[in-house]
Amino acid sequence: MAHNTRREFLRTGWRAGGALLVAAGGWTFWESLRPLAGSGGGGKIKLGQPGNYQPGTATFVPEGRLFIANTGNALLAISQKCPHLGCQVPFCDSSGRFECPCHGSSFDIGGEWIEGPSPIGMSQHPITLEDGSVVVDTSTVNPGPPRGSAVHLTPARGPKCKKG
Amino acid sequence: MTEHDAEEAPPGGVAVDDGGEPPTRDALEPSHAYAAGNGVTARIRRSAAWRSAFRHPPIDTPRGRALQGFSNFFLHVYPVKIPARVLRLRYSFRLGFISTVLFGILTTTGIYLMFFYTPTVGTAYGDMQTIHTGVGFGQLIRNVHRWSAHLMVLAVVLHLARVFFAGAYKKPREFNWVIGVVLLLLTLGLSFTGYLLPWDQLSYWAVTVGTNLVHYIPLVGGSLAKLLIGGDQIGQATLTRFYALHVAVLPLTVVLALGIHIWRVRKDGFAVERSAVGASGAFEEGATAPPNVAVPATAPAELYGGRTRVLGVVDRESVTAEERGVDDTVFTWPHLIVRHVVVALGVTTVVLALGVLFVAPLRGLANPNLTPEPAKAPWYFAGLQELLSHFDPLVAGILVPIGAILTMVLLPYIDRNPSTVARHRKVAITIFSGLLGLALVLTVIGTFFRGPGWEFIAPWTHWYVEL
Repeated sequence: MAHNTRREFLRTGWRAGGALLVAAGGWTFWESLRPLAGSGGGGKIKLGQPGNYQPGTATFVPEGRLFIANTGNALLAISQKCPHLGCQVPFCDSSGRFECPCHGSSFDIGGEWIEGPSPIGMSQHPITLEDGSVVVDTSTVNPGPPRGSAVHLTPARGPKCKKG
Repeated sequence: MTEHDAEEAPPGGVAVDDGGEPPTRDALEPSHAYAAGNGVTARIRRSAAWRSAFRHPPIDTPRGRALQGFSNFFLHVYPVKIPARVLRLRYSFRLGFISTVLFGILTTTGIYLMFFYTPTVGTAYGDMQTIHTGVGFGQLIRNVHRWSAHLMVLAVVLHLARVFFAGAYKKPREFNWVIGVVLLLLTLGLSFTGYLLPWDQLSYWAVTVGTNLVHYIPLVGGSLAKLLIGGDQIGQATLTRFYALHVAVLPLTVVLALGIHIWRVRKDGFAVERSAVGASGAFEEGATAPPNVAVPATAPAELYGGRTRVLGVVDRESVTAEERGVDDTVFTWPHLIVRHVVVALGVTTVVLALGVLFVAPLRGLANPNLTPEPAKAPWYFAGLQELLSHFDPLVAGILVPIGAILTMVLLPYIDRNPSTVARHRKVAITIFSGLLGLALVLTVIGTFFRGPGWEFIAPWTHWYVEL
């Protein structure tokens, strides 16, 4: 060790420098690939009077890719994206439930998991009342209620939309 | 290897005996029949310019054939001589070569399609329609590209299975197996990134489902998926990223990995069936050297832990892996090359026929607000999707696929049994066959037996498969 100190010091220096260079370059590249903030969801959208949304209905809002669901005692902004594999989940009026056409997950009107492969309930956006109209903040997505949650669960009011 | 090496015996070694008449120097000169006479062709062949490009005339002697191989860039990929058994179809079923040919066809047709395609959300679908209707042979080229991509996934998987059953991943080929697994993953990546480019309902939703599988990776899944698709949902950023990956990053990586893969096939020697006894890796001292091998007991051999052959220092396992005995080697040119040309023509014929007979699907323009029923991932991920409908995502989305990849990569380091004879490898073969069968069953169920709502259907009631 002693008789080679300078050589080993330089070698270690080169290695450390090289590793640092690779790490810095890699990190910069990785960061540069990250999507810009705000490139995902939009901002806040105003969606009219709460009275427009009848109890037991879920109204699709295309510009926010979400549903305004009136569960009877709450107004929820539920993302249309299935938490399973990202399919768009339509609301089935005859059963009063969300039914995913891809893999058969279904959710109650509050987005709570009932059956199917989805590991969790449907995601939600924060919803507020400003100056008497409904405002949804689409830039924030909150994970849905866990399996087993049944606050809004009611018996199916009719047949499923999809034959099962 | 240069011409010089072939002519003179290296110090301490013996010359390669090519078994033919020693040709005179004149035989290699342009006075040879191939350039004789006063015709235009002969004059061109005798010209200095021609001879600077094509150094050796095609002389049909062992020496002439060897020189052809040495002096030709394309033939130099091959060894000059190969064991005769390699020529048998059932040695490899040519699956690796078929995969390479398909990659070549995909590169050629892919570059052609690039001339007519712009990767933007606004134009991609229209460009696809133009390729189908307004570009000469555009539809055919796209069909060939599509079917070749599916066949390449199939060929690479079959190649992997063949190599497993032959035990050809064992020492000294462990690392080449790892590169092979990397090539399989790259092939899947190429196929998957290409899937999005038409920007129709099929591609949009297949890629939506496929990329959402990434979400199930614990901790990093969400940010990884975001990084892959460049945002929260598939859009322009996704198309740009997939395009760059599909036409530049992944193909270049494949070329590099394929180069190493083929180079190592040569360096590691051709795999032979060997029982546990002869393959312990121990070099038997005093063993008779094969006729073409010189074994000088010089220091470098000990230094590198190998043996010195005419061509240099060779790892001892690859020497012992070669079958001893009579010289059963044949010249690559023409024996193997001709077979390869036939296979390449066959593959081209098959994909052309598929392209003529079956039109690659192009559904309606991608609509993020309308999920088709059912939304299926591409067929090679359908098994994973099927698994996800039965098990917790942590199991089906993470443990199984990552475990499978890790096991495949580590296989040659886990399975230390040196024998490549099937009856000595009952456990390994049983496990591998079981897993392969399971993957096959899941893929078939996910692809053919699932309808709207992921409910079971019989494939003949309605065809929900689109490739």
